[in-house]
Amino acid sequence: MKVIKIDKAKWNDGLEALNGSYSLFGPVKQNECYEFKKLDKDEQLDLSGLNTRMSAKGLIYPHTEAMFTYTLDEGEENHHIMQPADKDYSPRAVIGIRPCDADAFLLVQRNFDTPDYKDPYWIQAYEATTFVGLACNNPCRSCFCTSAGSGPFHEAGLDVLVVDAGDYFLAKAITEKGEALLKVTGWDNELDSDTAEKEIAALKNDAEAKISSTILTDNLKEMPITAVYDAPFWEDVAFACINCGTCTYVCPTCWCFDIQDEVHGTSGTRMRNWDSCMFPLFTLHGSGHNPRGEKVQRVRQRFMHKLKYYVDKYGDGIQCVGCGRCVRACPVNIDIRKVCDLMNNYDEATCAAQ
Amino acid sequence: MVGYIDKIKEISERLLKDGKVDMVIGFRKGTMPMMNEPHRVKSADDVKNLVWDSNCGINLANYLTDRKEKIGIVAKGCDSRNIVTHIIENKIDRDQLYIIGVPCKGMIDSHKITNAVSGEIVDVVESNGEVTVKGDGFEETFNKADVLQKNCAVCIHRNPVIYDELVTDLVEEQADVDRYEDVREIEAMSTEEKHNFFDDLLAPCIRCYACRNACPLCYCPTCFVDESRPQWVGKGDDPVDIKTFHFLRAYHCAGRCTDCGSCERACPVGINMRLLTKKLEMDCLNLYGWEAGLTLDNRPPLDTYKPDDPEEFIK
Amino acid sequence: MEFMGIERDRLHLSWISSAEATKFVEVVNNVTEAVRALGPNTHFIKNEAKVA
Repeated sequence: MKVIKIDKAKWNDGLEALNGSYSLFGPVKQNECYEFKKLDKDEQLDLSGLNTRMSAKGLIYPHTEAMFTYTLDEGEENHHIMQPADKDYSPRAVIGIRPCDADAFLLVQRNFDTPDYKDPYWIQAYEATTFVGLACNNPCRSCFCTSAGSGPFHEAGLDVLVVDAGDYFLAKAITEKGEALLKVTGWDNELDSDTAEKEIAALKNDAEAKISSTILTDNLKEMPITAVYDAPFWEDVAFACINCGTCTYVCPTCWCFDIQDEVHGTSGTRMRNWDSCMFPLFTLHGSGHNPRGEKVQRVRQRFMHKLKYYVDKYGDGIQCVGCGRCVRACPVNIDIRKVCDLMNNYDEATCAAQ
Repeated sequence: MVGYIDKIKEISERLLKDGKVDMVIGFRKGTMPMMNEPHRVKSADDVKNLVWDSNCGINLANYLTDRKEKIGIVAKGCDSRNIVTHIIENKIDRDQLYIIGVPCKGMIDSHKITNAVSGEIVDVVESNGEVTVKGDGFEETFNKADVLQKNCAVCIHRNPVIYDELVTDLVEEQADVDRYEDVREIEAMSTEEKHNFFDDLLAPCIRCYACRNACPLCYCPTCFVDESRPQWVGKGDDPVDIKTFHFLRAYHCAGRCTDCGSCERACPVGINMRLLTKKLEMDCLNLYGWEAGLTLDNRPPLDTYKPDDPEEFIK
Repeated sequence: MEFMGIERDRLHLSWISSAEATKFVEVVNNVTEAVRALGPNTHFIKNEAKVA
């Protein structure tokens, strides 16, 4: 695929050229952290942060999202009938998303875009979006992407990969969508692709060598579900957990939601909000029974889903891209890397013998 | 503070070996800089994993709620006050507890340090009232007093108020601290300014409820925001719903909050919701001369009636 | 309530016995007057929920 060299002085010109064809989203610094935000005209994104505090998940799948609207006014012809909510699925571009976050959308896609069930909101938003990723030259110490099936220069899920090569950027088109976007920018200094690829590969090697944190996942698939489910370490893992939703809300691959109706006067909205398996309410039955009424059951569920059930169901790795956000954000320092080790190293026979 | 751990280990080991307690609740070393993980030790062999330093800000009283076992618990000043509150509110029995008191010199505010350096922090070392922060290509040393959690900087109850054994001599309490400067700043604002101030303060909230769940006071079986029959509060990210949650939660802590700072510390998006609880704390002090969790002998002012209770607000 | 941005005069609390009809009338008049002077409340009003 073609690679374009972008003089840093021309970076903003190219983004400005996108205005009009795309609405732009990108990281900006808010208070002490970086967050994704829709950029107003003339507003500039800030690529100096390591990663955003919240993942890019909310750009495609907002925290609170309208699904339908309706009226209860019986004078109206269509009263009590759900109408699709007004949505804007015009083209948008997310600039400066990290490769792990883009990769995460592919994991989430398995939930929202299946042969049997297609989530119209997620799919339309995802299809309307072009992802221009920024490779991580200096990954965080708590990033473990390379052993979670992703990487600092990972291309899956991206339409364009932008690499900071010091005085200039290299932009590599990965999909046709990405090529189309690059055309609009006006950046036109196309390089010989072999040489450019070599330059990118060298930077990639440097970046991957800087990843200091890794996990092992090789035993997860073969391990019997019931063995690891009944493993003795869960009580210890769960003790500190306060059952807040932080880990699931900052996670780019957590996809659960809850549907709510809100009515104001006679007009109503059916919306969906992010939900979290850490909350007791998540599994509370109408009967009052709660199959995951205890904290330890909820903590186990989160890790079993990401590191075992998902692995078994889809057969190509864990439901985690190693962005490290949950590790950094957890108020009580519960660390998925440690839990993954416990699960991966778990040997029922040895434990039973002890 | 760093030297306390040997004594904590010694006491814990003795308690577990003698069968005086079923578990000791303390901290173990975290995997991130400036983070330790609350941990319960059940056997004397595991005592070696306990740690104590200035990154033990989470309030351990939160882990006592409705427990039935006999428990040894490591408690700094604020933890001990919440243990008192827990006992008064029948969430734990005094007889179940062996309180290992830790006179505290304040906990480090990781947000403050993270913002004060440029670059990713790799290691944080503490010694002699100084905190040294190391990262790729930088090393900076701070006075611990300058990087304390906001609540620790104005704390006047560093010593445990209730304990069975102390790990060291009591520390000198801070005098001459202005505990309510920030509350007065807000009080001086106009109505519009106040409203906008809280709008901005709470705008980043993601409703993860880490503040509520880190709080030892928030033990309701079903919180009012989770209640669905009737549903009091919308569950989305509407700013009015978010404010309703924070304001009502603060009210529920009136006369109970010890300003331990766990809520603010736990918040993943750095909201200082303590400004709300502190206002109520200040009012309880001014109106009733009450500070929460100092004694087992008096009932809190908001669950008792006295003929001389202030009532100027009733017209 | 005042602390979080509701005007002091918007909220009133009064203790009135069922035998104190005069006080009741007086209080209601005072409340109405005070609130009318402030005009309509603009804070803490949720119309339709904010959704994406």
